[in-house]
Amino acid sequence: MRTLCLALAMTAFWLSPPVLAAADLPPASLAIFDVIDQQIDHVMKANDIKPAAQADDRTIIRRLSLDLIGSIPTLPEVEAYAASTDPQKRGKLVDRLIASPAYSRYQGAQFDVMLGYAGSGRNRGTGALRDYLVGAIAENRPWDRMFREMMLPNESEAKQKGAIEFLKPRIADQDRLTNDVSVNFFGVNVSCAQCHDHPLVKDWTQDHYFGMKSFLARTFEKNGVIGEQPSGVVKFKPNKGPEKTAKMMFLTGTIVEEGNQGSPIEKPKPGKNPPKEKPGDKVAPSAPSFSARAKLVDVALQPENADLIARSIVNRIWHRFLGYGLVAPLDQMHSENPASHPELLEWLARDVATHKYDLNRLVRGVVLSKTYSLSSKTDSESPPGAQYFAVAQLKPLTPLQLATSLKLATQDPATFHGLSPADLDKKIDAAEKSSRGLANLVAQPTDDFQIGVGEALVFSNSDILTREYLAEGKDSLLAKLKSEKDVKAGVELMVKSFLGRAPTPVESEALAAFVTKRSANPTEAYRQAMWALATCPEFRFNY
Amino acid sequence: MLKNFCGSPEHSVNRRAFLGSTLGTAAAMTGLNALAEPALAAELKKTQKRVILLWLAGGASQLETFDPKPGAATGGPFRAIPTDVPGTHISELMPQMAKRMKNTLVIRGLNTKIADHGGAAKIMMRGRRDEAGIRYPDLGAVMAREMARADSQVPDYVTFYTQTEGRGMAPGDPGFLGARFGPMELTTNNTPDFIRKLESVSVLDHKERADLRDLLSKQFVKGRSLGETLGSHNEAYERVRGIMASEKLFDINQEPEKVRDRYGKSQFGQQALIARRLVEAGVPFVRVGRAWWDSHGQNFETHAEMVPELDHVMTTLIDDLKERGLSNDVMIVTLAEFGRTPTINASLGRDHFASAWSMTMTGGKAKGGAVWGKSDPKGATIVDQEVNASSLFATIYSALGINPHKNYYLGSRPVPLVNPGTEVIEDVIA
Repeated sequence: MRTLCLALAMTAFWLSPPVLAAADLPPASLAIFDVIDQQIDHVMKANDIKPAAQADDRTIIRRLSLDLIGSIPTLPEVEAYAASTDPQKRGKLVDRLIASPAYSRYQGAQFDVMLGYAGSGRNRGTGALRDYLVGAIAENRPWDRMFREMMLPNESEAKQKGAIEFLKPRIADQDRLTNDVSVNFFGVNVSCAQCHDHPLVKDWTQDHYFGMKSFLARTFEKNGVIGEQPSGVVKFKPNKGPEKTAKMMFLTGTIVEEGNQGSPIEKPKPGKNPPKEKPGDKVAPSAPSFSARAKLVDVALQPENADLIARSIVNRIWHRFLGYGLVAPLDQMHSENPASHPELLEWLARDVATHKYDLNRLVRGVVLSKTYSLSSKTDSESPPGAQYFAVAQLKPLTPLQLATSLKLATQDPATFHGLSPADLDKKIDAAEKSSRGLANLVAQPTDDFQIGVGEALVFSNSDILTREYLAEGKDSLLAKLKSEKDVKAGVELMVKSFLGRAPTPVESEALAAFVTKRSANPTEAYRQAMWALATCPEFRFNY
Repeated sequence: MLKNFCGSPEHSVNRRAFLGSTLGTAAAMTGLNALAEPALAAELKKTQKRVILLWLAGGASQLETFDPKPGAATGGPFRAIPTDVPGTHISELMPQMAKRMKNTLVIRGLNTKIADHGGAAKIMMRGRRDEAGIRYPDLGAVMAREMARADSQVPDYVTFYTQTEGRGMAPGDPGFLGARFGPMELTTNNTPDFIRKLESVSVLDHKERADLRDLLSKQFVKGRSLGETLGSHNEAYERVRGIMASEKLFDINQEPEKVRDRYGKSQFGQQALIARRLVEAGVPFVRVGRAWWDSHGQNFETHAEMVPELDHVMTTLIDDLKERGLSNDVMIVTLAEFGRTPTINASLGRDHFASAWSMTMTGGKAKGGAVWGKSDPKGATIVDQEVNASSLFATIYSALGINPHKNYYLGSRPVPLVNPGTEVIEDVIA
């Protein structure tokens, strides 16, 4: 029986950006949204920047609905919200949205985009990872626990089913695995440090890259199950000097010493496998007594290192709702690329860690801030840089948001009137499920996303819109409109259903003229008018 | 999109000339025939470089094409024939190319190491392998980015891959350059999907609803910053009608029978003709995939059938482009994911081989008649002037007038077109 002795060694030099002392940060007892607004405001003032006005109610409910549950609000919801004089209406709306099943479906899908293995372009996972994520979000599972579950999946536990799909597809490519773990959980893309110390970033050396890889290199996949060897090292040839054996080192420089270094990693051959595994045996081999991967999770979550995971999830959530990170790009969190608001990032990271990595709490805090509810319109000739958060960012709708919203917009708004939350969610769920066809024809947005002419061609010349969205079935908006005698009223209902607002006089006139000109065939007239609404940027973007 | 408009007077002339023939009337829907407008065609001839990539999917054998080893144990049954370049011999299966080698640069020194279809195809379309954190753009996307006009009314990157074998292994990919520079992929037929108006929508409706969309868009854009994404959305719709109008470019029946006969009835030939039409109208990059060269068995039968077809199509293209005065501006490239083993296996086939293989470039600034790289007498290794994927691409870019060391930017990270330290093979640039 081998005894392994472990010593956790703190390195003499601190390699991650210095953490601001608690005394430099706003008090921990403040509300998230207040700290956000204070800090954003402070930097704007220091740079003589004026923020945009607050967005109006109709914009706010649309934005919240898209950001939280992944679809536009129905017209009755919009009208009710706009008409309400309740000073707490926004908080109540946020709570209602977060409590709805659509929230966990949408946020789970967003996490799946972030964490899922995108084989080659379009390939998404089996859906098992997304199912896991949806389930985890539904019970507001803490992020550190989700991290642990994805890194050390226990397939016998029902609640962790699917979590293994984060690791599994990546194991065959250890470099990919190393980088994806670093990017997704720590906001650090060290792939360039594979071949040389990063030319600009002192934080990222080959030691860091191979240090991370060492935690993961003992993991293997065989016959669909994951196992881990009890020992083995990664050797690498640095740019200068002889071949080195990598030490297990976390991105902060924390090194894990292990008594018995063992022999270099080999691919498992028959006979060299951990004893319990037999070919064809789908039961996962039991974890070795020293699990390097488990050590990574432990080290990452230690208080002195947890800054990385906390800051990274804060940045991700911030980016998701504000459209631009506090650190940009998302995978370049290092000392040469400081946050636009370092105190804010630190405070939010501390807050999230102190409150058990409660994601809903963080989300709620962000979307209740005044910063979040700024308008995307500005009078300024040259608007301030995105990093000031002085103007709301336009966010292109994701394929699912776009298709689901289009399904909802093309239904008669009267069918949404007076629904219970459960019944409303059923309709939204039905819309989501029936919109996969169109969603598959639209690209998932990334940073600096461009919409290609292919999308415009699909929307212009494919019959999918006509067949699946602009049909005149029961409960459809089209069926309602074609029997509407008053063209102006019809146009108004149409615009309200799509855009949540009344048309401007110019729009009303142009749309009415279009429809009237085609009075011989009102169905077709409204159908083509709806096309224009479906493809206009106001529908295409979250503003 | 004004953001990308370089402001050069040449480009504004082009834009007006182009749009002049498509704006306004419903008749515009019936199509742009840029090729029939001599002034326009003349303009195009002056400006940008374009590429037709003949992608020999599956890996054509260099021993049965451009680097024969007759008499060697690995040479196979075919002879080598002299060409119009003294000292250069190619396979007897390419008699027509033998008379055009002085227009063609052959690189025989390719050693690209990777010999699985998927991985190798990715590398040979990009000139490098993807890193864990970066998806690089392929040659087509780079050409689209470098050469396409902002408001271009033709597609920028077209790829034909009609056979089913290997299709999924080598899709076009704009990588981090984004969808704007992604390929128009033609897999089931020779006309792009969704390029034709639906029967159920009248010409008038198609136009007037787009006008409505425009109006709604103007209202939205007022007071909002026209960033990359919002701009691209509008630009995509602005381009639709032009792209739809370019439908005729994909129709070979627009060509006189004489020309069609010249290219022949094969699908490869027809697609090459379409490629010529496309580049002539200003499309920067067209890939014509011809599958499936993966002759693990019956290598010689396969090549006896496919190489003469390649010979014919390639020479027709070379001659046709020359007659149209496009040889300087349009480069024809033959390339694949790898070559084939000198060793002949038990099924009389050759297997994947990336250690010593060949490619060609004709046109642009590629030096006609030059041969770079030498394989040993059996064809097993490179003995002189070895070329890897990186330096190959640096050379291709250079021959197209593109600086291979220029940077794109991923956020603030500079990403050079080719890996740092890569050298252009200056000797093969005219």
